Amino acid sequence: MQRNKQVAMGRKKFNMDPKKGIQFLIENELLKNTCEDIAQFLYKGEGLNKTAIGDYLGERDAFNIQVLHVFVGLHEFTDLNLVQALRQFLWSFRLPGEAQKIDRMMEAFAQRFAGGAGACLSTSVRGHTCYVLSFAIIMLNTSLHNPNVKDKPTVERFIAMNRGINDGGDLPEELLRNLYESIKNEPFKIPEDDGNDLTHTFFNPDREGWLLKLGGRVKTWKRRWFILTDNCLYYFEYTTDKEPRGIIPLENLSIREVEDSKKPNCFELYIPDSKDQVIKACKTEADGRVVEGNHTVYRISAPTPEEKEEWIRRIRAAISRDPFYEMLAARKKKVSSTKRHTLSRTEQGG
Amino acid sequence: MGNVFEKLFESLFGKKEVRILILGLDGVGKTTMLYKLKLGRIVATVPTVGSSVETVEYNNISLTIWDVNSHCKHRPMWRHYFKDTKGVIFVVDSNDRERISEAQEELTRLLMEDELMDAVLLVFANKQDVPNAMSTAEIADKLGLQSVRQRNWHIQATSATSGDGFYEGLDWLSSQLKNQK
Repeated sequence: MQRNKQVAMGRKKFNMDPKKGIQFLIENELLKNTCEDIAQFLYKGEGLNKTAIGDYLGERDAFNIQVLHVFVGLHEFTDLNLVQALRQFLWSFRLPGEAQKIDRMMEAFAQRFAGGAGACLSTSVRGHTCYVLSFAIIMLNTSLHNPNVKDKPTVERFIAMNRGINDGGDLPEELLRNLYESIKNEPFKIPEDDGNDLTHTFFNPDREGWLLKLGGRVKTWKRRWFILTDNCLYYFEYTTDKEPRGIIPLENLSIREVEDSKKPNCFELYIPDSKDQVIKACKTEADGRVVEGNHTVYRISAPTPEEKEEWIRRIRAAISRDPFYEMLAARKKKVSSTKRHTLSRTEQGG
Repeated sequence: MGNVFEKLFESLFGKKEVRILILGLDGVGKTTMLYKLKLGRIVATVPTVGSSVETVEYNNISLTIWDVNSHCKHRPMWRHYFKDTKGVIFVVDSNDRERISEAQEELTRLLMEDELMDAVLLVFANKQDVPNAMSTAEIADKLGLQSVRQRNWHIQATSATSGDGFYEGLDWLSSQLKNQK
Protein backbone atom coordinates (compact mmCIF):
# COMPACT_ATOMS: atom_id res chain seq x y z
CA MET A 1 0.00 0.00 0.00
CA GLN A 2 2.74 2.37 1.03
CA ARG A 3 4.64 1.28 -2.08
CA ASN A 4 1.68 2.06 -4.32
CA LYS A 5 1.43 5.52 -2.82
CA GLN A 6 5.09 6.11 -3.50
CA VAL A 7 4.78 4.94 -7.09
CA ALA A 8 1.84 7.32 -7.53
CA MET A 9 3.92 10.12 -6.07
CA GLY A 10 6.81 9.23 -8.39
CA ARG A 11 4.49 9.41 -11.39
CA LYS A 12 3.21 12.76 -10.32
CA LYS A 13 6.75 14.04 -9.90
CA PHE A 14 7.62 12.62 -13.30
CA ASN A 15 4.78 14.51 -14.92
CA MET A 16 6.01 17.76 -13.46
CA ASP A 17 9.72 17.10 -14.01
CA PRO A 18 10.63 13.80 -15.69
CA LYS A 19 14.20 13.72 -14.43
CA LYS A 20 13.24 14.31 -10.82
CA GLY A 21 10.47 11.74 -11.04
CA ILE A 22 12.82 9.03 -12.29
CA GLN A 23 15.36 9.99 -9.65
CA PHE A 24 12.72 9.73 -6.94
CA LEU A 25 11.62 6.29 -8.11
CA ILE A 26 15.21 5.05 -8.22
CA GLU A 27 16.04 6.43 -4.78
CA ASN A 28 13.02 4.70 -3.33
CA GLU A 29 13.94 1.45 -5.05
CA LEU A 30 10.79 1.40 -7.11
CA LEU A 31 12.77 1.45 -10.33
CA LYS A 32 16.19 0.11 -11.23
CA ASN A 33 18.69 2.55 -12.58
CA THR A 34 19.06 0.82 -15.93
CA CYS A 35 17.87 1.97 -19.33
CA GLU A 36 15.92 -1.29 -19.67
CA ASP A 37 13.88 -0.67 -16.54
CA ILE A 38 13.28 2.98 -17.25
CA ALA A 39 12.32 2.30 -20.87
CA GLN A 40 9.88 -0.36 -19.70
CA PHE A 41 8.37 2.08 -17.21
CA LEU A 42 7.91 4.71 -19.92
CA TYR A 43 6.58 2.20 -22.39
CA LYS A 44 3.91 0.99 -19.99
CA GLY A 45 3.30 4.66 -19.34
CA GLU A 46 0.67 4.10 -16.68
CA GLY A 47 -0.38 7.43 -15.23
CA LEU A 48 2.38 9.22 -17.07
CA ASN A 49 1.96 12.39 -19.02
CA LYS A 50 2.91 11.76 -22.65
CA THR A 51 4.47 15.16 -23.05
CA ALA A 52 6.72 14.37 -20.11
CA ILE A 53 7.66 11.02 -21.66
CA GLY A 54 8.53 12.83 -24.89
CA ASP A 55 10.63 15.37 -23.02
CA TYR A 56 12.56 12.64 -21.25
CA LEU A 57 13.17 10.63 -24.41
CA GLY A 58 14.24 13.73 -26.32
CA GLU A 59 17.06 14.76 -23.98
CA ARG A 60 20.53 14.95 -25.49
CA ASP A 61 22.10 13.13 -22.57
CA ALA A 62 23.80 9.85 -23.59
CA PHE A 63 21.81 7.90 -21.01
CA ASN A 64 18.50 9.29 -22.25
CA ILE A 65 19.43 8.38 -25.80
CA GLN A 66 20.08 4.83 -24.63
CA VAL A 67 16.70 4.75 -22.94
CA LEU A 68 15.16 6.03 -26.17
CA HIS A 69 16.67 3.17 -28.12
CA VAL A 70 15.49 0.54 -25.66
CA PHE A 71 12.08 2.22 -25.61
CA VAL A 72 11.79 2.02 -29.39
CA GLY A 73 12.89 -1.60 -29.20
CA LEU A 74 9.90 -2.43 -27.04
CA HIS A 75 7.58 -1.53 -29.89
CA GLU A 76 6.45 -4.29 -32.17
CA PHE A 77 6.30 -3.13 -35.78
CA THR A 78 6.09 -6.47 -37.56
CA ASP A 79 3.54 -6.46 -40.40
CA LEU A 80 3.10 -2.71 -40.21
CA ASN A 81 3.99 -0.36 -43.02
CA LEU A 82 6.07 2.71 -42.33
CA VAL A 83 3.18 5.10 -41.71
CA GLN A 84 1.30 2.60 -39.55
CA ALA A 85 4.42 1.98 -37.51
CA LEU A 86 5.01 5.71 -37.14
CA ARG A 87 1.42 6.18 -36.02
CA GLN A 88 1.85 3.56 -33.37
CA PHE A 89 5.20 4.94 -32.25
CA LEU A 90 3.99 8.54 -32.07
CA TRP A 91 1.04 7.50 -29.97
CA SER A 92 3.25 6.24 -27.16
CA PHE A 93 4.59 9.69 -26.29
CA ARG A 94 4.17 13.27 -27.40
CA LEU A 95 6.77 14.20 -30.00
CA PRO A 96 8.60 17.38 -28.98
CA GLY A 97 8.67 20.21 -31.51
CA GLU A 98 12.42 20.72 -31.54
CA ALA A 99 14.08 19.60 -34.72
CA GLN A 100 17.07 17.98 -33.04
CA LYS A 101 14.88 15.95 -30.74
CA ILE A 102 12.65 14.84 -33.59
CA ASP A 103 15.77 13.90 -35.45
CA ARG A 104 17.12 11.65 -32.71
CA MET A 105 13.75 10.01 -32.31
CA MET A 106 13.34 9.32 -35.99
CA GLU A 107 16.82 7.91 -36.15
CA ALA A 108 16.05 5.47 -33.33
CA PHE A 109 12.71 4.63 -34.88
CA ALA A 110 14.17 3.96 -38.31
CA GLN A 111 16.89 1.73 -36.91
CA ARG A 112 14.33 -0.40 -35.18
CA PHE A 113 11.93 -0.40 -38.07
CA ALA A 114 14.44 -1.15 -40.80
CA GLY A 115 16.30 -3.63 -38.63
CA GLY A 116 13.42 -5.35 -36.91
CA ALA A 117 10.86 -5.56 -39.62
CA GLY A 118 13.44 -6.78 -42.10
CA ALA A 119 12.39 -4.48 -44.88
CA CYS A 120 11.45 -0.89 -44.31
CA LEU A 121 8.81 -0.81 -46.98
CA SER A 122 7.50 -3.11 -49.61
CA THR A 123 10.77 -2.55 -51.37
CA SER A 124 13.96 -3.21 -49.50
CA VAL A 125 14.83 0.22 -48.30
CA ARG A 126 17.85 0.60 -46.12
CA GLY A 127 17.93 2.07 -42.65
CA HIS A 128 19.35 5.39 -43.70
CA THR A 129 16.68 5.98 -46.31
CA CYS A 130 14.06 4.90 -43.85
CA TYR A 131 15.31 7.55 -41.45
CA VAL A 132 15.33 10.35 -43.98
CA LEU A 133 11.89 9.31 -45.16
CA SER A 134 10.52 9.17 -41.60
CA PHE A 135 11.77 12.67 -41.04
CA ALA A 136 10.20 13.75 -44.32
CA ILE A 137 6.88 12.32 -43.19
CA ILE A 138 7.01 14.32 -39.95
CA MET A 139 7.77 17.43 -41.96
CA LEU A 140 4.89 16.63 -44.30
CA ASN A 141 2.54 16.27 -41.36
CA THR A 142 3.75 19.65 -40.07
CA SER A 143 3.31 21.34 -43.43
CA LEU A 144 -0.11 19.90 -44.13
CA HIS A 145 -1.65 20.22 -40.70
CA ASN A 146 0.04 22.95 -38.73
CA PRO A 147 -2.22 25.99 -39.19
CA ASN A 148 0.81 28.27 -39.06
CA VAL A 149 2.03 26.87 -42.36
CA LYS A 150 0.19 28.68 -45.13
CA ASP A 151 2.03 27.15 -48.02
CA LYS A 152 0.69 23.59 -48.24
CA PRO A 153 2.76 21.26 -50.42
CA THR A 154 1.07 19.31 -53.20
CA VAL A 155 1.74 15.66 -53.79
CA GLU A 156 3.94 16.59 -56.77
CA ARG A 157 6.05 18.78 -54.54
CA PHE A 158 6.32 16.07 -51.93
CA ILE A 159 7.55 13.64 -54.56
CA ALA A 160 10.04 16.19 -55.85
CA MET A 161 11.28 16.82 -52.31
CA ASN A 162 12.15 13.21 -51.84
CA ARG A 163 14.16 12.84 -55.02
CA GLY A 164 17.47 11.20 -54.46
CA ILE A 165 16.92 10.16 -50.85
CA ASN A 166 17.28 6.46 -51.58
CA ASP A 167 21.07 6.50 -51.59
CA GLY A 168 21.04 8.88 -54.51
CA GLY A 169 18.18 7.09 -56.26
CA ASP A 170 14.46 7.74 -56.13
CA LEU A 171 11.82 5.88 -54.18
CA PRO A 172 8.89 4.49 -56.16
CA GLU A 173 6.47 7.31 -56.92
CA GLU A 174 3.48 5.22 -55.96
CA LEU A 175 4.90 4.66 -52.52
CA LEU A 176 5.37 8.40 -51.98
CA ARG A 177 1.88 9.10 -53.30
CA ASN A 178 0.42 6.64 -50.82
CA LEU A 179 2.37 8.16 -47.96
CA TYR A 180 1.19 11.62 -48.92
CA GLU A 181 -2.44 10.59 -49.15
CA SER A 182 -2.31 8.76 -45.86
CA ILE A 183 -0.90 11.76 -43.97
CA LYS A 184 -3.17 14.19 -45.77
CA ASN A 185 -6.29 12.22 -44.94
CA GLU A 186 -5.31 11.37 -41.43
CA PRO A 187 -2.88 13.56 -39.47
CA PHE A 188 -0.83 11.97 -36.72
CA LYS A 189 -2.96 11.95 -33.63
CA ILE A 190 -1.81 13.87 -30.61
CA PRO A 191 -1.71 11.33 -27.80
CA GLU A 192 -4.05 12.12 -24.97
CA ASP A 193 -2.38 13.21 -21.83
CA ASP A 194 -4.15 11.08 -19.33
CA GLY A 195 -1.57 11.96 -16.71
CA ASN A 196 -2.15 15.62 -17.32
CA ASP A 197 -5.46 16.02 -15.64
CA LEU A 198 -5.57 15.09 -12.04
CA THR A 199 -8.03 12.23 -12.43
CA HIS A 200 -5.30 9.77 -11.72
CA THR A 201 -4.39 11.47 -8.50
CA PHE A 202 -7.96 11.27 -7.28
CA PHE A 203 -8.38 7.67 -8.17
CA ASN A 204 -8.64 5.58 -5.03
CA PRO A 205 -8.53 8.39 -2.47
CA ASP A 206 -8.35 7.92 1.30
CA ARG A 207 -11.75 9.53 1.63
CA GLU A 208 -14.13 11.72 -0.37
CA GLY A 209 -17.45 13.42 0.20
CA TRP A 210 -19.48 16.62 0.43
CA LEU A 211 -18.59 19.09 3.15
CA LEU A 212 -19.29 22.73 3.87
CA LYS A 213 -16.31 25.05 3.95
CA LEU A 214 -16.25 28.47 5.56
CA GLY A 215 -14.70 31.13 3.33
CA GLY A 216 -11.34 32.64 4.24
CA ARG A 217 -12.11 36.29 3.63
CA VAL A 218 -15.84 36.28 2.96
CA LYS A 219 -17.37 34.28 5.78
CA THR A 220 -19.92 32.27 3.86
CA TRP A 221 -20.41 28.51 3.80
CA LYS A 222 -19.85 26.82 0.46
CA ARG A 223 -20.67 23.25 -0.36
CA ARG A 224 -17.60 21.54 -1.79
CA TRP A 225 -16.65 18.02 -2.83
CA PHE A 226 -13.58 17.08 -0.79
CA ILE A 227 -11.00 14.45 -1.64
CA LEU A 228 -8.30 13.32 0.74
CA THR A 229 -5.30 11.70 -0.89
CA ASP A 230 -1.50 11.78 -0.76
CA ASN A 231 -1.34 13.91 2.35
CA CYS A 232 -3.38 16.60 0.62
CA LEU A 233 -6.94 17.78 0.86
CA TYR A 234 -8.51 18.85 -2.42
CA TYR A 235 -11.87 20.46 -2.91
CA PHE A 236 -14.04 20.75 -6.00
CA GLU A 237 -17.14 22.62 -6.90
CA TYR A 238 -18.69 19.57 -8.57
CA THR A 239 -17.85 15.89 -8.29
CA THR A 240 -17.23 15.77 -12.02
CA ASP A 241 -14.70 18.63 -12.09
CA LYS A 242 -11.35 17.53 -13.41
CA GLU A 243 -9.40 20.15 -11.56
CA PRO A 244 -9.83 21.15 -7.97
CA ARG A 245 -10.90 24.60 -6.84
CA GLY A 246 -8.48 24.38 -3.97
CA ILE A 247 -5.56 22.36 -2.70
CA ILE A 248 -4.57 22.21 0.95
CA PRO A 249 -1.32 20.37 1.67
CA LEU A 250 -1.70 18.86 5.12
CA GLU A 251 1.97 19.17 5.93
CA ASN A 252 2.50 20.93 9.25
CA LEU A 253 -1.21 21.25 9.92
CA SER A 254 -3.27 19.93 12.78
CA ILE A 255 -6.93 19.13 13.08
CA ARG A 256 -9.35 19.77 15.95
CA GLU A 257 -13.06 19.64 16.63
CA VAL A 258 -14.76 23.00 17.03
CA GLU A 259 -18.19 24.33 17.88
CA ASP A 260 -19.74 26.72 15.43
CA SER A 261 -22.76 28.83 16.21
CA LYS A 262 -24.23 28.35 12.72
CA LYS A 263 -23.23 24.89 11.55
CA PRO A 264 -23.09 21.51 13.27
CA ASN A 265 -20.32 18.85 13.16
CA CYS A 266 -17.44 21.23 12.62
CA PHE A 267 -13.71 20.69 12.59
CA GLU A 268 -10.80 22.91 11.80
CA LEU A 269 -7.41 22.61 10.15
CA TYR A 270 -4.91 24.92 11.77
CA ILE A 271 -1.22 25.55 12.19
CA PRO A 272 -0.18 24.48 15.68
CA ASP A 273 1.29 27.23 17.84
CA SER A 274 0.40 29.98 15.41
CA LYS A 275 -2.58 32.23 15.35
CA ASP A 276 -2.41 34.55 12.41
CA GLN A 277 -0.20 32.73 10.00
CA VAL A 278 -1.92 31.95 6.69
CA ILE A 279 -2.04 28.27 5.81
CA LYS A 280 0.00 27.36 2.75
CA ALA A 281 -2.59 26.42 0.16
CA CYS A 282 -3.85 27.50 -3.23
CA LYS A 283 -7.16 27.97 -4.95
CA THR A 284 -8.43 28.79 -8.40
CA GLU A 285 -10.41 31.98 -8.79
CA ALA A 286 -13.55 32.14 -10.95
CA ASP A 287 -11.51 33.71 -13.75
CA GLY A 288 -9.05 30.82 -13.76
CA ARG A 289 -6.21 32.50 -11.89
CA VAL A 290 -4.49 30.34 -9.32
CA VAL A 291 -3.88 32.29 -6.14
CA GLU A 292 -2.56 31.59 -2.68
CA GLY A 293 -5.10 30.66 -0.08
CA ASN A 294 -6.05 33.20 2.57
CA HIS A 295 -7.12 30.98 5.44
CA THR A 296 -5.52 31.07 8.85
CA VAL A 297 -7.80 28.14 9.67
CA TYR A 298 -10.02 25.97 7.49
CA ARG A 299 -13.34 25.51 9.22
CA ILE A 300 -15.35 22.67 7.77
CA SER A 301 -18.78 21.30 8.58
CA ALA A 302 -19.74 17.66 7.99
CA PRO A 303 -23.32 16.53 7.35
CA THR A 304 -23.42 14.11 10.31
CA PRO A 305 -21.44 13.55 13.52
CA GLU A 306 -20.34 10.14 12.19
CA GLU A 307 -18.94 11.66 9.05
CA LYS A 308 -17.18 14.31 11.08
CA GLU A 309 -15.52 11.63 13.18
CA GLU A 310 -14.47 9.69 10.11
CA TRP A 311 -13.00 12.75 8.35
CA ILE A 312 -11.05 13.71 11.45
CA ARG A 313 -9.76 10.18 11.84
CA ARG A 314 -8.70 9.95 8.19
CA ILE A 315 -7.12 13.38 8.03
CA ARG A 316 -5.27 12.73 11.25
CA ALA A 317 -3.97 9.46 9.78
CA ALA A 318 -2.90 11.25 6.60
CA ILE A 319 -1.07 13.93 8.56
CA SER A 320 0.67 11.52 10.86
CA ARG A 321 2.09 9.53 7.98
CA ASP A 322 4.80 12.12 7.93
CA PRO A 323 7.58 10.78 10.17
CA PHE A 324 8.43 14.25 11.38
CA TYR A 325 4.89 14.79 12.38
CA GLU A 326 4.87 11.60 14.38
CA MET A 327 8.01 12.62 16.16
CA LEU A 328 6.61 16.03 16.93
CA ALA A 329 3.23 14.66 17.85
CA ALA A 330 4.79 12.28 20.35
CA ARG A 331 6.58 15.14 22.01
CA LYS A 332 3.54 17.33 22.02
CA LYS A 333 1.44 14.56 23.44
CA LYS A 334 3.67 14.40 26.46
CA VAL A 335 3.43 18.10 27.02
CA SER A 336 -0.27 18.46 26.45
CA SER A 337 -1.59 15.22 27.92
CA THR A 338 -2.32 16.89 31.18
CA LYS A 339 -4.12 19.77 29.50
CA ARG A 340 -6.24 17.47 27.40
CA HIS A 341 -7.40 15.54 30.43
CA THR A 342 -8.70 18.67 31.98
CA LEU A 343 -10.38 19.66 28.73
CA SER A 344 -12.24 16.42 28.19
CA ARG A 345 -13.43 16.47 31.73
CA THR A 346 -14.85 19.95 31.23
CA GLU A 347 -16.57 18.83 28.02
CA GLN A 348 -18.19 15.90 29.72
CA GLY A 349 -19.28 18.13 32.52
CA GLY A 350 -20.83 20.72 30.15
CA MET B 1 -16.84 40.50 -43.20
CA GLY B 2 -13.72 40.77 -41.13
CA ASN B 3 -11.97 38.75 -43.72
CA VAL B 4 -12.87 41.16 -46.50
CA PHE B 5 -11.45 44.10 -44.62
CA GLU B 6 -8.40 42.17 -43.73
CA LYS B 7 -7.82 41.32 -47.37
CA LEU B 8 -8.43 44.92 -48.42
CA PHE B 9 -6.06 46.10 -45.77
CA GLU B 10 -3.44 43.68 -46.88
CA SER B 11 -3.77 44.64 -50.49
CA LEU B 12 -3.45 48.31 -49.60
CA PHE B 13 -0.53 47.99 -47.33
CA GLY B 14 0.92 44.84 -48.76
CA LYS B 15 1.39 42.53 -45.84
CA LYS B 16 4.37 40.41 -46.64
CA GLU B 17 4.57 36.78 -45.71
CA VAL B 18 8.05 35.46 -45.32
CA ARG B 19 9.64 32.26 -44.23
CA ILE B 20 12.25 32.36 -41.51
CA LEU B 21 14.28 29.51 -40.11
CA ILE B 22 15.37 29.35 -36.52
CA LEU B 23 18.54 27.33 -36.15
CA GLY B 24 21.19 26.58 -33.60
CA LEU B 25 22.57 23.80 -31.47
CA ASP B 26 20.52 21.84 -28.94
CA GLY B 27 19.51 23.54 -25.74
CA VAL B 28 20.31 27.11 -26.74
CA GLY B 29 16.75 28.24 -26.09
CA LYS B 30 15.08 28.06 -29.51
CA THR B 31 11.88 26.54 -28.20
CA THR B 32 11.50 29.06 -25.39
CA MET B 33 12.22 31.78 -27.90
CA LEU B 34 9.62 30.60 -30.38
CA TYR B 35 7.14 30.28 -27.59
CA LYS B 36 7.82 33.77 -26.29
CA LEU B 37 7.78 35.33 -29.73
CA LYS B 38 4.27 34.18 -30.50
CA LEU B 39 2.92 35.52 -27.23
CA GLY B 40 2.31 38.91 -28.80
CA ARG B 41 -0.73 37.34 -30.38
CA ILE B 42 -2.16 34.36 -28.61
CA VAL B 43 -4.02 32.05 -30.90
CA ALA B 44 -5.60 28.88 -29.67
CA THR B 45 -4.55 26.26 -32.16
CA VAL B 46 -4.91 22.54 -32.18
CA PRO B 47 -1.44 21.16 -31.57
CA THR B 48 0.15 19.33 -34.47
CA VAL B 49 2.62 16.47 -34.39
CA GLY B 50 5.82 17.73 -35.96
CA SER B 51 8.31 20.56 -35.94
CA SER B 52 7.45 23.76 -34.12
CA VAL B 53 6.25 26.40 -36.51
CA GLU B 54 5.02 29.75 -35.30
CA THR B 55 3.64 32.74 -37.12
CA VAL B 56 4.61 36.10 -35.75
CA GLU B 57 3.08 39.29 -37.09
CA TYR B 58 5.52 42.11 -36.83
CA ASN B 59 5.64 45.52 -38.49
CA ASN B 60 3.09 44.39 -41.04
CA ILE B 61 5.18 41.39 -41.94
CA SER B 62 4.00 37.89 -41.23
CA LEU B 63 6.96 35.79 -40.23
CA THR B 64 6.55 32.04 -40.37
CA ILE B 65 9.33 30.73 -38.19
CA TRP B 66 10.36 27.08 -38.49
CA ASP B 67 12.41 25.15 -36.01
CA VAL B 68 14.41 22.97 -38.35
CA ASN B 69 17.39 20.76 -38.44
CA SER B 70 20.30 21.63 -40.61
CA HIS B 71 21.59 18.10 -40.40
CA CYS B 72 23.33 17.17 -43.60
CA LYS B 73 21.43 13.88 -43.71
CA HIS B 74 18.33 15.83 -44.61
CA ARG B 75 19.99 17.89 -47.31
CA PRO B 76 17.87 16.50 -50.16
CA MET B 77 14.77 17.85 -48.48
CA TRP B 78 16.33 21.17 -47.76
CA ARG B 79 16.22 22.70 -51.14
CA HIS B 80 12.46 22.30 -51.16
CA TYR B 81 11.55 23.31 -47.69
CA PHE B 82 13.91 26.18 -47.51
CA LYS B 83 13.95 27.45 -51.04
CA ASP B 84 12.37 30.80 -50.37
CA THR B 85 13.84 31.45 -47.01
CA LYS B 86 14.36 35.16 -46.46
CA GLY B 87 16.01 35.06 -43.11
CA VAL B 88 17.84 32.86 -40.67
CA ILE B 89 17.74 33.36 -36.94
CA PHE B 90 20.76 31.62 -35.52
CA VAL B 91 20.62 31.16 -31.77
CA VAL B 92 23.74 30.82 -29.64
CA ASP B 93 24.06 30.05 -25.94
CA SER B 94 26.28 32.88 -24.73
CA ASN B 95 27.45 30.79 -21.81
CA ASP B 96 28.49 27.68 -23.62
CA ARG B 97 32.13 28.37 -24.36
CA GLU B 98 32.73 24.70 -25.03
CA ARG B 99 30.32 24.45 -27.91
CA ILE B 100 30.85 27.82 -29.51
CA SER B 101 33.22 26.34 -32.09
CA GLU B 102 30.63 23.68 -32.89
CA ALA B 103 28.13 26.51 -33.38
CA GLN B 104 30.61 28.28 -35.64
CA GLU B 105 31.01 25.16 -37.81
CA GLU B 106 27.27 24.76 -38.06
CA LEU B 107 26.79 28.37 -39.05
CA THR B 108 29.55 28.25 -41.65
CA ARG B 109 27.97 25.19 -43.20
CA LEU B 110 24.57 26.87 -43.26
CA LEU B 111 25.83 29.97 -44.97
CA MET B 112 27.18 27.84 -47.79
CA GLU B 113 23.76 26.39 -48.57
CA ASP B 114 22.43 27.55 -51.92
CA GLU B 115 18.93 27.80 -50.56
CA LEU B 116 20.01 30.37 -48.02
CA MET B 117 21.93 32.54 -50.48
CA ASP B 118 19.50 35.43 -50.20
CA ALA B 119 18.71 35.07 -46.54
CA VAL B 120 19.72 37.75 -44.08
CA LEU B 121 21.31 36.55 -40.87
CA LEU B 122 20.18 37.49 -37.40
CA VAL B 123 22.24 36.05 -34.57
CA PHE B 124 20.59 35.91 -31.18
CA ALA B 125 23.25 35.79 -28.47
CA ASN B 126 20.95 34.19 -25.96
CA LYS B 127 21.17 33.67 -22.20
CA GLN B 128 22.73 37.06 -21.70
CA ASP B 129 21.10 37.25 -18.29
CA VAL B 130 23.53 34.66 -16.92
CA PRO B 131 26.65 36.22 -15.34
CA ASN B 132 29.89 35.62 -17.23
CA ALA B 133 28.08 35.38 -20.53
CA MET B 134 30.24 36.08 -23.55
CA SER B 135 29.67 39.55 -24.99
CA THR B 136 28.12 39.96 -28.42
CA ALA B 137 31.47 41.19 -29.72
CA GLU B 138 33.19 38.07 -28.46
CA ILE B 139 30.54 35.84 -29.97
CA ALA B 140 30.64 37.69 -33.30
CA ASP B 141 34.36 37.13 -33.29
CA LYS B 142 34.16 33.44 -32.42
CA LEU B 143 31.50 32.82 -35.02
CA GLY B 144 33.61 34.59 -37.61
CA LEU B 145 30.86 37.04 -38.49
CA GLN B 146 33.34 39.71 -39.52
CA SER B 147 34.30 37.63 -42.52
CA VAL B 148 30.70 37.20 -43.69
CA ARG B 149 30.47 39.02 -46.98
CA GLN B 150 27.61 39.72 -49.36
CA ARG B 151 25.07 39.17 -46.67
CA ASN B 152 23.50 41.48 -44.16
CA TRP B 153 23.87 40.28 -40.64
CA HIS B 154 23.19 41.53 -37.16
CA ILE B 155 23.94 40.21 -33.71
CA GLN B 156 21.54 40.87 -30.87
CA ALA B 157 21.89 40.13 -27.16
CA THR B 158 18.80 38.32 -25.87
CA SER B 159 17.35 36.55 -22.92
CA ALA B 160 14.73 34.00 -23.88
CA THR B 161 13.39 33.82 -20.36
CA SER B 162 12.68 37.53 -20.06
CA GLY B 163 12.22 38.21 -23.77
CA ASP B 164 14.80 41.00 -23.69
CA GLY B 165 16.24 41.83 -27.08
CA PHE B 166 13.65 39.96 -29.14
CA TYR B 167 11.94 42.99 -30.51
CA GLU B 168 15.15 44.81 -31.24
CA GLY B 169 16.14 41.77 -33.26
CA LEU B 170 12.80 41.59 -35.03
CA ASP B 171 12.99 45.31 -35.77
CA TRP B 172 16.22 44.78 -37.58
CA LEU B 173 14.87 41.71 -39.37
CA SER B 174 11.68 43.38 -40.54
CA SER B 175 13.48 46.49 -41.78
CA GLN B 176 15.78 44.24 -43.78
CA LEU B 177 12.89 42.27 -45.21
CA LYS B 178 11.00 45.41 -46.20
CA ASN B 179 13.94 46.60 -48.21
CA GLN B 180 14.08 43.36 -50.12
CA LYS B 181 12.29 43.27 -53.40
